[in-house]
Amino acid sequence: MNRQSFRPASQETGEIRLVNLTKTFGATTAVDKINLTIPHGSYCCLLGPSGCGKTTILRMIAGHETPTSGEIYIGKEMVVGKPPVARGTAMMFQSYALFPHLTVLDNVAFYLKMRNVGKDERRQRAQEMLHRVQLHALKDRVPAQLSGGQQQRVALARSLITNPRVLLLDEPLSALDEFLRLRMRGELKSLQRELGITFVHVTHTQPEAIALANMVVVMDTGRIDQEGSANIIFNRPKTPYVARFMGGQNVLTGTVVRTADGPLRLQGANGAQFEAATNEVALPEGSPLSFAVRRDRIKLRKSVGGKAATAPNEVRGVVEATEYQGSYVKVFVDLGGGVFVAYLADGDFFANPIEKGDAVVASWSPADINILTNVDKGAAGDPYSDAMH
Amino acid sequence: MAASPSSYGSRPWTFYALATLFALFVVFLYGPMIAVLILSFQGPSAALVFPLRDPSLMWFDELFNPRRVGDVVGAFERSFPLALLVAALTVVISVSAGFAFRRRFIGDTVIFYTAIASLIVPGLVLSIGVLVTFRYLGMSAAWYSSALGAHLSWTLPFGLLIMFAVLGRLDPSYEEAAYDLGASRWQAVWSVVIPIVLPGMIAVALFGFTLSYDEFPRSWLTVGSKNTLPLEIWTMTTNVTSPALYALGAMTTFVSFAAIVIGLTSIVAIQRRRSGSK
Amino acid sequence: MTSGDVQKSSRFVYLQVAPLALVLFFFFAIPVALVVLVSFFRYQMLVGMVPQFTSKNYVGLLSSPTTWALYLSTVKFTVIVLAITFVLGFWIAYFLVFHVRNLLTAIGLFLVCTVPFWTSNIIRMISWRPVLGKEGLINSGLIKAGIVSHPLDWLLFSDFSVVVAYVHLFTLFMIVPIFNSMARIDKSLLEAATDAGATRWGVVWNVVLPLSKTGIALGALFVVTLTMGDFFVVTVISGGLSGSATSGIFNDLQFLNYPRAAANAVILLVVVLLVAAAIFRVVDVRKELVR
Repeated sequence: MNRQSFRPASQETGEIRLVNLTKTFGATTAVDKINLTIPHGSYCCLLGPSGCGKTTILRMIAGHETPTSGEIYIGKEMVVGKPPVARGTAMMFQSYALFPHLTVLDNVAFYLKMRNVGKDERRQRAQEMLHRVQLHALKDRVPAQLSGGQQQRVALARSLITNPRVLLLDEPLSALDEFLRLRMRGELKSLQRELGITFVHVTHTQPEAIALANMVVVMDTGRIDQEGSANIIFNRPKTPYVARFMGGQNVLTGTVVRTADGPLRLQGANGAQFEAATNEVALPEGSPLSFAVRRDRIKLRKSVGGKAATAPNEVRGVVEATEYQGSYVKVFVDLGGGVFVAYLADGDFFANPIEKGDAVVASWSPADINILTNVDKGAAGDPYSDAMH
Repeated sequence: MAASPSSYGSRPWTFYALATLFALFVVFLYGPMIAVLILSFQGPSAALVFPLRDPSLMWFDELFNPRRVGDVVGAFERSFPLALLVAALTVVISVSAGFAFRRRFIGDTVIFYTAIASLIVPGLVLSIGVLVTFRYLGMSAAWYSSALGAHLSWTLPFGLLIMFAVLGRLDPSYEEAAYDLGASRWQAVWSVVIPIVLPGMIAVALFGFTLSYDEFPRSWLTVGSKNTLPLEIWTMTTNVTSPALYALGAMTTFVSFAAIVIGLTSIVAIQRRRSGSK
Repeated sequence: MTSGDVQKSSRFVYLQVAPLALVLFFFFAIPVALVVLVSFFRYQMLVGMVPQFTSKNYVGLLSSPTTWALYLSTVKFTVIVLAITFVLGFWIAYFLVFHVRNLLTAIGLFLVCTVPFWTSNIIRMISWRPVLGKEGLINSGLIKAGIVSHPLDWLLFSDFSVVVAYVHLFTLFMIVPIFNSMARIDKSLLEAATDAGATRWGVVWNVVLPLSKTGIALGALFVVTLTMGDFFVVTVISGGLSGSATSGIFNDLQFLNYPRAAANAVILLVVVLLVAAAIFRVVDVRKELVR
């Protein structure tokens, strides 16, 4: 390994550009022509279920996996074909991968040893790095003696000593228990702000992604379904998949009734009528269209008597179940052709309690309708397995 | 680790039954060896009677006297270096092959099953084969050539299987982390993989040494005119019934024990250092 | 790792596996092939091997009642030893895995069992002589305790002593694979069986035994090949009174009749391989051993 492979300290930009990136394993396509630009200094989360390709992308950026086709640019350089250390990236592994036969200090100093830095100097610099992550007291311990959180900080120190322009994190919080996870979340976020480098963080947990990232990329079987800020992804999901994956949304489908002038109108099942606030959609009459409504923007009232004419943006059904969640209550309503969930604030719920078997009317305002770009192909997600905790 | 739910921690009767079986088995295993050890200290009465009539070290003395007992020292001077050589070669070759087998390559199945076959084939058959092979090549059998090869054909499969177990359990993230931190492939192997699998390598060396040192059938026809220790013992058993044989047994067992102790303590020391207990 | 490195490494792999392949080729494949070859040669007294192809060796061996008697004797020993080592090996492994509570103690006891394996087989075998002999430990003890008046002469130099010696040497080869298989059994399976009402014996019969199948098969493979291929135990401990297939080979070698010895060896090899093949159908060896 010649010295030229080692990059000087990161003055360069940590912008990442993926161009038509593809990875196939035999007959399976894990990553399918991905195009993505991650700006320098952003905290980007790749979010999706296992098998969607997010870890493969991370490993290709790192250089531990070779793309089948496509290009990866970090800064202005095309890095495919370069060894990991020459890319200016550092990776934090899910299992931390701390070398069990080395002390904490030697683990952190490993990079410097590979650069042939002298023993005293590299130990000195490793100690400084350990000070930064507040683990200096443990420098002579062996990884097996450390707790999960401590191991992670050592792994962090070991990565940061390479002065990377991009830090790649492979599900870093999955191995931690709940309390530790939440604390480490805060630490990662402040660390990224302090360092100012690009973080790419792979996770399957939605609350984690929207808490940490200023750029969320939602993935589904090798493709990117939607990318954007956490706010946009949560409030304006573009596809039924993203709406369901992020949780907290109901997805409904109707056919277009009138698009000429006036608001967009859709005809739904069982005589329901939907009216959106805007009319940006240019679809012919009769085409199917799906939309999402946030579950916590639903109002519920018990329905009195038979079939009164329904106002727009209302659906009728029977309560299937209720679930207490502390500050809110989940109410599962059977619409006779799909399940619908409403989150009611606990104060509102207990003021007028609703029980299983009650006939109810759910309503919302037109402004809360979020039109989706694809038509829903059916409940890929089970409303009972809600994503939001 | 107890599988059966026991009330208040008391053990079922089966535990005592099995524990007794285990104790008896250990006695069964060690009894004869201890008997030999005791008998080797017997005096000139040379009787196989317990308790010993007059203990002495005379039989150990006899061992170094080749006229009456056979060329024990000479045999040892062949067995010991042979075992060391076999151990060293087994480690190098098994480790190298173990690394190769981490990927699939052309011929990997053939080589794997050949190694397994080498484990199964009776040593006697192989012995005949190696002798015949050397005859055809016009070379004479000797402990450092034909016997060495015959021993290796037995120890290498063991070494290979151990390396499979060890490398198979090795988390690939360690090497990837090493590459991430700037290691070349060689540096990753030397600085990370080998230190981590070192206990396994010691086990391979231990296997190589003891299997060779104690090997009988594969040495039988392949050592040439000068015997290794197990062969020398064999000739002695058919000719000699003196307690010198037991003295020899005690001594050779001592060498084996020394090897085991060295091997196991180094493995334990490494594991303890890795787990952090000082 | 880049794609360029992958190319390089695939060529390097052949270099890494070459020493193993070479040793196996020269010191296993070729020797075995030559044994098969030589088995078809003719043997002339005082001349040695004559490279003329003949099947006389095989015909002679297979038609000789001695050969069959010897092989029968070998099979007899093998079956008895297999049965005993299986019972012993299974219960000892069971004890270590399921009854010993402390993992470290279990490993310690396991090591205690394996230590004798590292010492010389010959020594372990001959150390039975002063124990089983007419003036040996057991007989003296029995006489002193008044259980018998004359020393039992069937303890040594008999079929009994051969079986004892084999069990002594080879039980470990049963214990290790079975221990391995048992240790991998998920303990919650046993608890589930007990929950469903199985007695302790029922748990062993229905859960532990099937899941240890691989270990048992591997152990059986080792014990069978070692017992059938052995010759020094049988010659030394039985004093030549019991025969085995290998003692036949041994005799031929004493007379330098290599072709006949080779033929006999090939027959032995075929029998061993047949048994191994039968066991391989139970166990996927590569998957088990490579893990």
